Amino acid sequence: MSETLAAFGTLLRRLFARRGAALSLIFLGLVALTAIFAGLLPLDPLAQSVADSLKPPSAENWFGTDELGRDILARVVYGARTSLVTAFGAVFIAALIGVPIGLVAGFYGDWRDSILMRCIDVLLALPNILFAMALIAVLGRSQGAALIAVGIAGIPGFARIARAQVMALRQLDFVMAVRGFGGRPSYIMFRTILPNALSPLVVQAIVLASIAILLEAALAFLGVGVPPPTPSWGEMLRTGKSYLYEAPSYAVLPGLVLTLTILSFDTIGRALTALLDHDETDASGATVGGRR
Amino acid sequence: MTKLSRRQFCMTGLALAGAAPLAAALPATAQQLKGGTLRVGVLSELANFDPQQLSTVNFHVMKNLYDSLIEYTPDGKPLPSLATEWTIAPDKKSVSVKLRDGVTFHSGTPFKSDAVLATLQKGSDPKRGKHVFSTMAIVKDWSAPDERTVVINFKAPAPERQILDLLQFLIPIDPKGIDTVETVPAGTGPYTLVNRAVGQSLTLKANPKYWREKQPIVQDLVFTVFSEDAAASAALESGAIDIVYNGGSRSAVRLKGAGYQVFSGPGKLVQVFRINSTRGPFRNKSFRQAFNYLVDRESMLRVGYAGMGQVVALPWAPASPAFDAAYTKTYAYDLEKAKKLLAASGLSPAEMKNWKLLVYGSEEAAVALSQIMQGTLAKVGIPIELTVLQGAEYVTAQLAGDFDATFGAIGNVQKFPSRVSTNTIYRTVQNPVLKDPHPHPAYVEAIAKVDAAAGGDAEVKAAYDNLNRVLVDEAFAVPTNSYDVGLIVASEKIGGITLDMDNLFVARTIGFK
Repeated sequence: MSETLAAFGTLLRRLFARRGAALSLIFLGLVALTAIFAGLLPLDPLAQSVADSLKPPSAENWFGTDELGRDILARVVYGARTSLVTAFGAVFIAALIGVPIGLVAGFYGDWRDSILMRCIDVLLALPNILFAMALIAVLGRSQGAALIAVGIAGIPGFARIARAQVMALRQLDFVMAVRGFGGRPSYIMFRTILPNALSPLVVQAIVLASIAILLEAALAFLGVGVPPPTPSWGEMLRTGKSYLYEAPSYAVLPGLVLTLTILSFDTIGRALTALLDHDETDASGATVGGRR
Repeated sequence: MTKLSRRQFCMTGLALAGAAPLAAALPATAQQLKGGTLRVGVLSELANFDPQQLSTVNFHVMKNLYDSLIEYTPDGKPLPSLATEWTIAPDKKSVSVKLRDGVTFHSGTPFKSDAVLATLQKGSDPKRGKHVFSTMAIVKDWSAPDERTVVINFKAPAPERQILDLLQFLIPIDPKGIDTVETVPAGTGPYTLVNRAVGQSLTLKANPKYWREKQPIVQDLVFTVFSEDAAASAALESGAIDIVYNGGSRSAVRLKGAGYQVFSGPGKLVQVFRINSTRGPFRNKSFRQAFNYLVDRESMLRVGYAGMGQVVALPWAPASPAFDAAYTKTYAYDLEKAKKLLAASGLSPAEMKNWKLLVYGSEEAAVALSQIMQGTLAKVGIPIELTVLQGAEYVTAQLAGDFDATFGAIGNVQKFPSRVSTNTIYRTVQNPVLKDPHPHPAYVEAIAKVDAAAGGDAEVKAAYDNLNRVLVDEAFAVPTNSYDVGLIVASEKIGGITLDMDNLFVARTIGFK
């Protein structure tokens, strides 16, 4: 455990050494903290005051007010909750289902691989947004439905990466050794191979998180995301575009926060990929197994 | 010479009989307008070309492909159109209509009484009559004594205004094309169809055999379908189109400020908080009545419609003969009065919040209004959830009455008052929301009284007053505000705009200055 924490600390330090990744981590940390502790802030995303509608940014309302006189900053902060919960929930669902599928398919490589990967191919052939909209049409419009829809759309990514990793690792010495000692297939897959395949999966999780936030916003923008009055960045963009002339801050500021959040996830993902690729290149002589 | 009252004017059918076509009704400048190609941006794709399925999605084409028997001026006076004269029998149980000579359908078929009979036949068929069917409820039968005359008989004495509304609603269809009218227009209108690219555009050209002199002015009429109000406005500002028809109120206010011409006709819609009084707490009359005071009409008009319209507590536009402004003051937003009625209902807090507000997610104003309602209810301790549905899913739920409450606009609010019962929530029979037998017999009776009020002005006014009292007392539908439909925003080079009673788009008088 302490070894894992130490490795995580090292990784974090190396990420902070990169300016872009450092800025992204700070921004995402800020967004996450305000989202988690939003209840402690003097902000009410639902309080209406129609007489104060579409006010520009001021000392009282830093981001201005929307068409119902609600504080846009409060809605951006609480909207972060919607986005982050969707992102982490979707990653959890996608990883929980996608990784075991990839492990089984890659480990056995027989008819199980064929069947599982054809199913994944079918899922992959469906455009994410269409698939999500169809699922929401069945499940109804709610944050849970959006989360499940985005999560299922993320399954193929995890499955394919996990499968590729297993196929690369399953014939290596340390895996063969465990097999030789009579290790059960499930033990080999989850205790031997998976820990060594985590790096690309972590990168995939970060990539999916940014896709999930964007997809959730897109669904809300199309009017099938979380129902009002729950704040959502996509919903704010959707409504705000109608008031671009009267209150540009209404759409622009939530849009800016959304863009920066996705950019931050993307920057961290790229930095992480670069760091891990560098590690693998360094360790190429000893193979991946050499990192054990 | 005896001066004719409006009533005599209608009754004797001397309404400019045989008068030339409506050139006189045109704006003075119309005579100097030039032709060309008129490019119009619209926000909806039309459903089909059947004039008996008139709805806001095809408002932009109907008056350009078809003519009705009579027309109304914006202030409600009848004008001849395909009918040159109409005579209402003294017992008000029939009307005799003289048809215009020298008119042909687009197919070349001469317009005669057989076309009116075929149109009446279609309208009286519950399957084919669509939106005209309910208006035909007063009609008993019809006949054609000759090629230029049609007589329509009524089941009972019908009020004059109701008869005129029927004539205005009847749009003769070419008998040869009546079965295919949904896909191929079959009218006598000033334009003929050239091309339709579904979801994109509709192109019409001037009908060379049109019966109105010097009309239409522009030779080509091109409608472009925009999915976004902002896109249509931008196209107008860039000069890509000349007119935006049926755009949003907010854009219209902004464009008016930027120097564009904005025309708003008398044919308003009224937004109504529709209550399913057969469900949950809404079965309780006091609970329903509280909503007369819980509706923050001023805020709704401001947020939903940029202030363009009028707050109303009754389902009438100001042009309606039953409109009564006093009700708006009596039933203004008042949380204290609402709380008293809620307390009087005897319902527990848990019972009061045991319902959901259905929201039409595709309509921005409906989403805003629903959230205002939700906020107001929270203030009186009734937290409710919104169920948002899109497009056809919402329409299906609304038409099937599968909701507790929802906002939805109603039309025909400037016509004869009983025409309000053409809207689903106000139907007196086969009401898809309230079902049969109607749970509000007082309302059904009040509508029947209005229909039967064929006597003097006092009787008619008493019937209207009674209906208004019943509407707020039963409170199964709580109107919030009237608003503009069919707004016309035009560039400054456009002239000759004609305002239609129903706010349909009338292109034949429009030209370039």
